[in-house]
Amino acid sequence: MTLSPQMPNGRFYDALGSTLVDGDVPVPQRATLMLDHDARVLEIGLPDSDRAGLRWPVNDIRQLPDIAGQEGVVLRLNSDPLARLYLRNPNVLKYLPKLKTVPAPKGRARLAAWAAGAVAAVALQIGVLVPLLADRLATYVPPAGERALGEATFDQIRTALAGTGLPPLPVCEGEAGMAAFEEMLVALGVERGTDDAIKLFVLDHEMVNAFALPGGYVVFFRGLIDAAQGPNEVAAVLAHEVGHVVNRDPTRHALRSAGSIGILGLLFGDFAGGAAVLFLTEQLISARYSQGAELGADQFAYGVLEEAGVSPAALGDMFERLRDEYGDAEGVVAHFLSHPTLTSRIDRSRAIARPDFRYMDVISDDQWRDLKRVCADDWLPPAAD
Amino acid sequence: MEVAFVGSRSALFWLALKSGFWTVLSLGFYRFWMKTRLRRWYWSAIRPGGHPLEYVGDPLEKLLGFFIAVVVLTFYIGIVNLALMFVSFSVFQSSALGYSASFLGVIPIWFYAQYRARRYVLGRTRWRGVRFGLEKGAWGYAWRALVHWIITICTAGILWPRMTFWLEKYKTDRTFFGSAKLVQGGRWQMLIPATWPFVAGVVLLGALGVWLVYLDPVMPQMDASFDDTMDSIADAVEYGFVPFGWNGVGRLLLLIPTTLLMIYGAVHYRFVTKRILANHKHAQGVRMRSDLKGLRVSMIYVLGTTIAYIMLMLGVIAVIGLALSLLGPEAFLEEQIGMGDPLGFLPRWLSLGVIGLLYLSVFLFYSVLHHVFVTYPLMRHMAVTLSLQNVGPLTQVSQRARDEFAEAEGFAEALDLGAAI
Repeated sequence: MTLSPQMPNGRFYDALGSTLVDGDVPVPQRATLMLDHDARVLEIGLPDSDRAGLRWPVNDIRQLPDIAGQEGVVLRLNSDPLARLYLRNPNVLKYLPKLKTVPAPKGRARLAAWAAGAVAAVALQIGVLVPLLADRLATYVPPAGERALGEATFDQIRTALAGTGLPPLPVCEGEAGMAAFEEMLVALGVERGTDDAIKLFVLDHEMVNAFALPGGYVVFFRGLIDAAQGPNEVAAVLAHEVGHVVNRDPTRHALRSAGSIGILGLLFGDFAGGAAVLFLTEQLISARYSQGAELGADQFAYGVLEEAGVSPAALGDMFERLRDEYGDAEGVVAHFLSHPTLTSRIDRSRAIARPDFRYMDVISDDQWRDLKRVCADDWLPPAAD
Repeated sequence: MEVAFVGSRSALFWLALKSGFWTVLSLGFYRFWMKTRLRRWYWSAIRPGGHPLEYVGDPLEKLLGFFIAVVVLTFYIGIVNLALMFVSFSVFQSSALGYSASFLGVIPIWFYAQYRARRYVLGRTRWRGVRFGLEKGAWGYAWRALVHWIITICTAGILWPRMTFWLEKYKTDRTFFGSAKLVQGGRWQMLIPATWPFVAGVVLLGALGVWLVYLDPVMPQMDASFDDTMDSIADAVEYGFVPFGWNGVGRLLLLIPTTLLMIYGAVHYRFVTKRILANHKHAQGVRMRSDLKGLRVSMIYVLGTTIAYIMLMLGVIAVIGLALSLLGPEAFLEEQIGMGDPLGFLPRWLSLGVIGLLYLSVFLFYSVLHHVFVTYPLMRHMAVTLSLQNVGPLTQVSQRARDEFAEAEGFAEALDLGAAI
């Protein structure tokens, strides 16, 4: 390749203030610069030294990136990891064609291997080891410990739901209503009157939901009771939550979270705002966890309902009712309904119900009326038509 | 030999913003490149004798180190956390205890990682073509740091300067520039004067406490229980009235200058000890000298941090507002009780993604501001007030071998330590 005809007259370049370090001692040496266009070599003279000058091929000269300040650039030679040329006047740079060429990264195979190792380690840990250990350990947590944990979590949730500065969300205590619930529990054949028995609460809140906490806490929101069209639907949800309790899902869930949240913390490192990102990601994972647990609880509910002479299809009815009533509604129900496995869960509960069997109601109509009024004696749900 | 500092704040701002942008887009993977580039920039800005420091760390080795650390630490942290949580549930019946215990369990690794990260950074720093280096000794550092912390806590912080000195000495005495070994001279007692502003703050707080509670109580009804007192304070804050029977409430405003004095004292201690320690460091007869100004550094620190934090708070509030309007107020709670499934519905997933990206952007913008208003001026002040004296023996220094280092600063990265730069 020929050089441009506009090249400067002299082959010497202004090297005033430029220095070279050889990578052996920290003593900069005054440098002179001469470009040998024919050999395509930059000759660096060291006038103050008894050493011979250096010949750097122009194609092998690189410029250090991300240097602060306007004055001067730093050059290095590809084949010499240590020597540096500190250049005061950059006018020679235009004859150095490969200043910014980046070398191909070394050790890519090793990097890929460790990357795969890291992914595998995290996957193994979060997907297999932690759940396995958590499931095993959950059975050894003493009931008293579980109860204390459940109580603390229940209080936290009540406070969070009420909003800041307000007293915790009230628990509904309509006597007749709670008696109806009690009747329902007995009808479902759930163990009563012991320390380990289910503790059932209704929270005065319009959310259509119910959940279980460690230590046998089962909590309904008033919204779910309002939405239900009959006692069997409430009983189906109750059986489902009891299934969670019997399978110790809440305790397992808490243990799993403890194991996996620390691991996720590692992945994010000191990358922006760790804690909150961590929380959200952990939620993603725990939501996936609860999928398997949901099916297990459904399975349990079918058995209990069948046993009590109540149609297992009631669980599907409850889900379907939500879908019919809310349609394309926002918030809770929207994503709940569009969940792909929900439809299959509805179908399964229908399939399990025996078509020719005559199922009955879990509690009487009077008790159902009481149950609906559990949150206030003078309050009635809007009549359904 | 003087140390110059070149480079403008705006250049740093754009470099940090640009690399921060890529970090957000790459979901955090570019952070290894971001860190490398920023370090190159800062290092090259510091020029003892007119020659820039050079940072030769490689982003890919950081990435590799991070993967290695993840592989090693996942097992430790996952299993240990689970076991601690189990014990905490079964024996103490609380989850908070388990979380704090798992935090304690990480502390030794934390010190270990800190030393390893320092070794990596020094091993990748050069000046005039000659490498710096730090000898092995991370576990030695970890147990010494633990013992010093325990002593410091047991003496209610009185022996803090002793810890500062001995830990710095451990690190300095293992630091090399080429063949020259650094030595930390002096005694720990020389750091005591640096504590005076903080001690003054503590004494003032104590005196104020005695005056406001015992000598001339703000709340004379001393028989009231602690809870009642806290309630009446909460009421006073909430409704803006002063409860009946309080006396000289204006005096409570004195707490503000006292707190400011304590903050100043803490920053003063942190940086003035650096000056004192630097003035007692030498290597082969070359001595360091620092004229760092405690007041100046504290002003930079407090003002810069305040600017960055205010922007962060505004950003976070804006993102939370957006999140609430997109997802509805119940989204967070619903996930808390384990019924949520954010993956179920695409637009929801999408809005979560948007919020996530915005959230990360806010934090990255905060880190950009932190670089521009805190790290940059602090580094500049520390650099220009530093000088080397009796530099003749530098000619006798020779190169040292490269410190190969498979895991780079992976442990520090994974454990969230390398936040400075």
